[in-house]
Amino acid sequence: MTLNVSTAAVGVNGLSRRYGATQALDRVDLTLERGITGLLGPNGAGKTTLLSILATVNEPDTGRVSVFGLDPRQAAERVEIRRRLGYLPQELGYHRHFTVAGFLDYVAILKEITDRRRRAEEVARVLAAVGLEGRARTRIRALSGGMRQRLGIAQALLGEPELLILDEPTAGLDPEQRLRFRELLSGLPGDPVIVLSTHQADDLAAICPQVVVLLQGQVRFTGTPAELAATAAGRVWAADERDGRAHLSWRGGDNRWRHIGDHPPGGAELVAPTVEDGYLLLSQAAGAR
Amino acid sequence: MTSPFPDAAGRVTEAAWHADADLLASYATGTADPVVVWSVEAHLAGCAQCRSALSAHADAERLARNRSVLLVRVAVPGGGRMRRLLCRCGVPDHLLRLLAATPSLRRSWLLSVLGVVAVVTGEAAAVRYGWIRADRTGRLAGYPDPEVLAPFLLAAPLLVLAGVAAAFLPSFDPAFRLAVAAPFSGFTLLLVRSVSALAAALIPVVGAAFVVPGPGWLPAALLLPSLTVCAFALAAATVLEPRAAAVTAGALWALPALLLAAAHLPLAIVQPNAQFACAAVLCAAAAVLLARHDRFEWGGMR
Repeated sequence: MTLNVSTAAVGVNGLSRRYGATQALDRVDLTLERGITGLLGPNGAGKTTLLSILATVNEPDTGRVSVFGLDPRQAAERVEIRRRLGYLPQELGYHRHFTVAGFLDYVAILKEITDRRRRAEEVARVLAAVGLEGRARTRIRALSGGMRQRLGIAQALLGEPELLILDEPTAGLDPEQRLRFRELLSGLPGDPVIVLSTHQADDLAAICPQVVVLLQGQVRFTGTPAELAATAAGRVWAADERDGRAHLSWRGGDNRWRHIGDHPPGGAELVAPTVEDGYLLLSQAAGAR
Repeated sequence: MTSPFPDAAGRVTEAAWHADADLLASYATGTADPVVVWSVEAHLAGCAQCRSALSAHADAERLARNRSVLLVRVAVPGGGRMRRLLCRCGVPDHLLRLLAATPSLRRSWLLSVLGVVAVVTGEAAAVRYGWIRADRTGRLAGYPDPEVLAPFLLAAPLLVLAGVAAAFLPSFDPAFRLAVAAPFSGFTLLLVRSVSALAAALIPVVGAAFVVPGPGWLPAALLLPSLTVCAFALAAATVLEPRAAAVTAGALWALPALLLAAAHLPLAIVQPNAQFACAAVLCAAAAVLLARHDRFEWGGMR
């Protein structure tokens, strides 16, 4: 298959990064297409490191990164990438005395929106997009966790970025806010490349046409949510009794035991696997290696 | 309409012309040419008929948007007289806004003011309780007995350095990651912050140099060493971890200052030979900064 720039806007090749004794990323190859890609993996799998390298905040030890055909190692090209980038770090740093509008105004200046009028328009636009328009004058430290997270998403949207990198954007959002977030991402103009990391398998299944599973610094799966679920086909069972040989089993809302594993318990019937089942089996297999 | 422009005398006479529907629509939606906007506004001021015609073109969505933009502009702190003054002096508005939003600058200022007050109060107390001799006129036995100055000479450039370090160390900027991932040049941001922190910290330090006993040239003699120590810290931060760079720069000042004080020559640290040495280090630091400023464009200050 030949890679077309419009379908593989962002690519990394042989990416490795080590922090002391920890190998955070180990020869990662990945291409990201326009649309939403979900990055799934346990804590410490290297998701944040990968995203910070894509966001040009960190340098890899080895390997190459290409964003819209630009190389972040070249100073001029790196600036060009940053002009087209929106980044939500895992922990949004903010100064204690900032108000919501003051913070967004500050980030907008860093994004080279120097005209005051345009900056105010852009700040008003992103505030409305995340439903914080009534909070412009509130101090950030007075916001709830969910509102703070929405503020983080808002600053990433400043300047209508073509590449949106969101590190755990749904952390701290309540169910309604998560649905609104999905709506927001689906409605972004200009068909940007969006990559988000999450622990929520249902977020992935709902909005990400492409899923990447990162385990121990390596890419272990790339495909659609349905393909990830299908990796668990024939290995998910429902039964009335618990079976000790399962990788994992729990009692569901219907009071029946859900078993994941290769050994069908007595009287069990096969059930349709979910994205979570596929992910669990993948991480079990990686842990056993 | 006949002409969108006022007559030669600059007056718009009622009923001389009226804005037509297309013109009012383009004005209301903000698509009209700026010159036309100007003349329509001049006309609207004196023509009630066109004002009421305009209200039919008002777009509720656009009005709501304008309202929220206005609310944002009100919510963003405007800055006081100082900002207006600097703006008039040609400093770009967005740079001033960036500085106003850098709280570490307040910390720099506070740090140097407190530091200077502590050192000067310490010296005054020392005189009051007889640890340092005062001459018959009641003044500090200053210049003829320069050892009085040793603590101040040691502390002054270090206080300026601490102020500048508070402005450039990533650990003092909670929004550091956002700043790195933004296209605004990290080196420019660093320079803007450092220069303003330098200015803020130099004011109390140089002011104190006028107050403490010593030669009249002391305030001026402190400028170059302070600048050099800060420039060295910035240059070293392109090689070392930023905190280590600041500590190294501080040590490079403190060591010779302490040694000279121990040799009963505290003023030598700001006398001509030392000034030449400072100038040489400053040039070297500037060269390193120019050659390696790309390091500040990475968040990778690991």
